[in-house]
Amino acid sequence: MINPGASTSPEKTGIEVIPTFCHGCGSLKPRCSLLCHVKNGQITRIEGNPQAFNNWGAGCTSLCAKGYTGAQFEQTADRLLYPLKRSGAKGEGKFQRISWNEALDTIADKLIETKKKYGAESFGILSPEFWPVLSTLGRRFLNVYGSPNYLHSAICSTPRRAAARMTVGFISLAPDNWEKTRLIINWGSNIENSGVNSGQLWEMLEALKRGTRMIDIRPMLDPLGTKAHLWLPIRPGTDCALALSILHVLISEKLYDADFVEKWCYGFDKLSEHVRQYSPEWAANITGLPAAKIREAARMIGTIKPSFICIGNGVGDQSNDGTATISAISLISAITGNLDVPGGQYFGFPPVGPPLIRTNQISVLEEKAPPEMVKKLVAPEGPLWYQTKKNWESGPTSAYYKALMSILTGRPYPLRVIHAGCTNPLSATRNPRRVAEALKKLDFFFVMDLYHAPHVDFADIVLPACTSYEMSDQIAVKNSREGTWIGIYNKVVEPPGEARSDWRLYLDLAVKMGYGPDFWNGDIEACLQEQLAPSGISLAELRNNPQGIFIPRHEPPPQLEYRRYARIFRILPHGKVQCYNEAIGGKSDCLGIGVLPYLPIYQGPPEGLAETPDLAREYPLILSDVHAHRLSHHSYLHNLPYLREHQPYPWVKINPATARKYGIADGDWVKVESPHGWSKFKAEYFEGISPEVLMTKRGWWQACPELNLPGYPYGNGGSEVNNLYNSNEKLFDKFYSQMAKQTLVKISKLEED
Amino acid sequence: MNRKYDFYFDPQRCLKCWACEIACQQWHGIKAATIKFRVVSEIVRGTFPNVDREFQSLACRHCTEAPCITACPVGAIQKRDDGIVVVDKSLCTGCRVCLEDCPYHIPQFGDDGTMLKCDMCLDRLAQGRQPICAEACPTRALQWGTTEELARLTHPENQS
Repeated sequence: MINPGASTSPEKTGIEVIPTFCHGCGSLKPRCSLLCHVKNGQITRIEGNPQAFNNWGAGCTSLCAKGYTGAQFEQTADRLLYPLKRSGAKGEGKFQRISWNEALDTIADKLIETKKKYGAESFGILSPEFWPVLSTLGRRFLNVYGSPNYLHSAICSTPRRAAARMTVGFISLAPDNWEKTRLIINWGSNIENSGVNSGQLWEMLEALKRGTRMIDIRPMLDPLGTKAHLWLPIRPGTDCALALSILHVLISEKLYDADFVEKWCYGFDKLSEHVRQYSPEWAANITGLPAAKIREAARMIGTIKPSFICIGNGVGDQSNDGTATISAISLISAITGNLDVPGGQYFGFPPVGPPLIRTNQISVLEEKAPPEMVKKLVAPEGPLWYQTKKNWESGPTSAYYKALMSILTGRPYPLRVIHAGCTNPLSATRNPRRVAEALKKLDFFFVMDLYHAPHVDFADIVLPACTSYEMSDQIAVKNSREGTWIGIYNKVVEPPGEARSDWRLYLDLAVKMGYGPDFWNGDIEACLQEQLAPSGISLAELRNNPQGIFIPRHEPPPQLEYRRYARIFRILPHGKVQCYNEAIGGKSDCLGIGVLPYLPIYQGPPEGLAETPDLAREYPLILSDVHAHRLSHHSYLHNLPYLREHQPYPWVKINPATARKYGIADGDWVKVESPHGWSKFKAEYFEGISPEVLMTKRGWWQACPELNLPGYPYGNGGSEVNNLYNSNEKLFDKFYSQMAKQTLVKISKLEED
Repeated sequence: MNRKYDFYFDPQRCLKCWACEIACQQWHGIKAATIKFRVVSEIVRGTFPNVDREFQSLACRHCTEAPCITACPVGAIQKRDDGIVVVDKSLCTGCRVCLEDCPYHIPQFGDDGTMLKCDMCLDRLAQGRQPICAEACPTRALQWGTTEELARLTHPENQS
């Protein structure tokens, strides 16, 4: 272990400095490496590991609010400590302690029995955000067991990726080189909340310093928006109208790249004709943005090149017309000639050179899965024709919410057994009251978690999980311009009680199920060695180098190629950009009952000021939420004092003019009522939001005893925003199952403390 | 003048992420919702849609002519040769006169009533390292260095 400084030594101070990874912003994503100062088995301080290429790269020591709160992860009293079995009714929350052995035996018996009785497909695993444990070992387990039902959230980058791929062949994650980008359009991307220390925010600020222009399209004036040259405070859920209207201006004012369109676009005339109806005046009425501002944005996009559109989760994955929205936004980049050009929408990961340390991905043992398994998906997230090996991430997926509903409806068949690891279905998807009914009706529900989140009440078996500070079962490789770095998670402190690493669950369970030979006979070290094999680095060597091993790069960076259109568009009909979309148009939707359209048609949110004017008379305000937040990890971490201190109560941002109209003072509790339910939030006056819009944050179940602050329930009268949204499955996006993340509400002052 | 080290803060790069404030709290073992050596805040100007938010991260400025030093009746506040303003806990009586005279409302008072504030992480400086808050900033809105280094940041024309 390394010394915290030249003048101190572990012998003298009793402090060891142990590197590991933070999981503050993602479930088991090895993003930021930490140095943990440990004394007497406790983390006392945390700092960034300058050797692990965090944020802007070599030497960087920065972390974020959650990163620096690391020590408090290990000081909370609310952790799950032991395996439990249910002793009361489902939902009652009564449990008794059992051994790991009994817990695993119970789960294995149930899984074997269920497969025999109802078929393997009646078992499904709920997926949190992209999670290496589930996409590798979890998927492997499903394949060996024989179920396709990886219950994917549908709030993820995959719907965005699918829509962009089917329109322009790819989704761009970043420009090849931000120094060349002259215009950044930050569209529904919440990066100052979801990735403060991920590097991209740094690149954007550097670009702004160099004079790059920026348009920020989000309902609130978020911190990055304050640096933008144009802020478009759009009504939540109406981005598709804005995108179509920008296409209208670009085409009608001939601000497109005629050469590119001529050579590489299919059906441009049909698109031109189609978007004639979507003038800025039409969009103004829907989006709440002045037509002049929409024209200004469109003209900036049409004239300032190259541009990069950073498409966020808010527009593509959390609107029920996300596919049309992403298609339209992708077409904006395409017809303005910004695809795969220097500083534009670069195809693939910006190459920094090949990794100098090679490792094996954990195989998901696809060959073990029964053929035609995909046809048994309980609620295909994307249509079956799209769910093929070349399109999926680790295998087929069912949509999280729709799959849960099968338990209640029995259509097409009910799921019988579900596992939730690292995800709380009472906040991770819509309509928690209905989800609770489903969990109650389920034959068997087993959960692995750090905390007693509300869904744990419905579990038959509960398993206690480890934090990233308590395990050493994961390897991280970071490839950069400077070289390649490999590190292993080091166990910084002992897990409390009998908490185990998530990586071990599938290994342990596999052995009980008789799948041992496919799961290294339960030996995680063998699993790690297999991953390390091509690197030539042994596991012992890696463990003996807790700081990681770095191989510097000597050769110059590779020469980049651009405008690789024949290659990029070859997956599309005619080998061209789909202005008129024959890649999805005319094909079956994900429900298997209708066909998908050829052109991006404005559908709009299920409830909106312009879309449902009658409803708007009773519910005159729009409500949405920020999804990720820099002071919490989705619905988790409100128990940590350093984070909770800055947002003690469930908040709703409200324009002071609106609040005063309803007699609501800054800090008052507000009853927020939609056509679907009501929740309460504390008013936070904020001028950076339209008087017709309210914004909040989901997931407030966790209490913070140290600050004497409670948690709030998910149902009516609680503070879960998902309780308020429309959850009619028929209204979800027809291509990839995205759900609306906004509704109409009425508000009133709530007289209570 | 002895002034040697300083903080530099660029509100144009601050995103109100709280990393500096929490980094400071945990490094100095300060409990949440108690005293603060560094505070992130914001000022919102204008009305929708013409709104501006200005973010700030504030700790002791270690003033060249520090009013707290002059104010302290017992000489408990001193300026080191390197310009860092420090408090001698053994002399402080907790009279809070320094708080009245500090234009930035910096002095904090702990459980024992004596004054506490930012010391630029003397423990880290002794190891040749920067204050934790400056190392923490993911956007480099907050930096720390010698006055000469920072002058180059404030006035790029001085760059050689």
